[in-house]
Amino acid sequence: MILAIILVVAAALALIFILSITVSRSLQVSNRSLAGAIQPLDLEAFRNLTDAAEDDYLRRRLQPADFRSVRRERLRAMAAYVQVAGRNATVLVRIGQSALTAGDSTTVEAARQLVEQALLLRRNATFALLRIYLALAWPNSDSDARPILHRYEQLNGSAMLLGRLQNPAVPLRISGGL
Amino acid sequence: MLRAHSLLWHYLWVAPSVLLLMLGFGLWRLRVHRQHPFFLAFVLASAVEQLTLYVLDITPSVEPETWWRFFWAGLILEGILKFALLAEVFAHAFRPYPAIATLGKRLIGMVGVLLIFASSMAAAFAPLDSLFGIVSGAHLLQQTIYIIECGILVSIFGFSSYFRIGMPSADRGIALGLSLSACVHLATWTLVANTSLPDDSRVVLDFINMAIFHFCVLMWIYYLLVPRRASEMTAMIALPENNLALWNRELERLLQ
Repeated sequence: MILAIILVVAAALALIFILSITVSRSLQVSNRSLAGAIQPLDLEAFRNLTDAAEDDYLRRRLQPADFRSVRRERLRAMAAYVQVAGRNATVLVRIGQSALTAGDSTTVEAARQLVEQALLLRRNATFALLRIYLALAWPNSDSDARPILHRYEQLNGSAMLLGRLQNPAVPLRISGGL
Repeated sequence: MLRAHSLLWHYLWVAPSVLLLMLGFGLWRLRVHRQHPFFLAFVLASAVEQLTLYVLDITPSVEPETWWRFFWAGLILEGILKFALLAEVFAHAFRPYPAIATLGKRLIGMVGVLLIFASSMAAAFAPLDSLFGIVSGAHLLQQTIYIIECGILVSIFGFSSYFRIGMPSADRGIALGLSLSACVHLATWTLVANTSLPDDSRVVLDFINMAIFHFCVLMWIYYLLVPRRASEMTAMIALPENNLALWNRELERLLQ
């Protein structure tokens, strides 16, 4: 009987999960407000946080306990950046997907590249977050988020290209503070 | 009304199968079957299986054991086609995105292994009726198939939602119908396989299954045969102001 209850509850939860995803996708915000959902990221500050030389310098200059504390703070900040980068990537996936239906083949190709790079960034951001959270538990370990930084820069290039193609007068900004 | 061999019972058993045959014919005429070959196979196999079982059920000369043997054969064929159909839906949803297609395949593969293990455990702990082994065995096989099907569908929807991937409309409809059918059937077959319900309650569960399947067939007809309006997603996006010069400089630095 317990097994039956578990499976019935699991089936109900699975159905609720699938229906909620379907309903939420059909109630998505309009494309016009999508671009506004992108949060600017300070790449220079993120680059500083992911700089291994900075970590080495801090490791040499600080006591081990102090280093761990500072490193945790830096990791938390890094995680916040990666989360924003991941969220921006999902917005760009949707912007890119909406442009995939355009009639112009150049725009479609730019949109395809944007979607592909945004998905890669989303995937990498997920794995980077896992590594950062692991590093939070072991602050002395290496948590290299530089691939995310590189991917984010590539993504910005694609977004700019798509923005230019779609609307040359009003291009796209997905980062700030450079 | 909710009794075996009532008018509603006959309708709910036969109508979905007839509608499935019409759906199969429609898919063939619209040449949609080229994109969804396993869906067409599933539709036709389900229709033939259900109509065969119905005819066997209302034919007095057919022994119960014969009926259950046909039920077993249909169940195995339908199970194989369902998993092929899930692979087809997955391929349509994620193949256009190589960046995550491989990750998705691995994830679904891992989930599949876990689900096979979990469903085997669930079947192992279920009470087995030694007197009517062919019946309880069929219930357990149904439960096993629906556990795996539900889990894979949840993974597909979860994965597409996480990456904000929009499934093609037809595949979304197929997956949604399969999900609704699988989740409700899992709950009902679990109750049948693991509890000793009275016959009246079992008949009510049969009605629920048949009504849900009927609804799913109508959903598939809507998603696959009703012409879709041009997507509203083609509207031009108003992009905010930018710092293009700075980004160009940054990209040029990266290209060096």
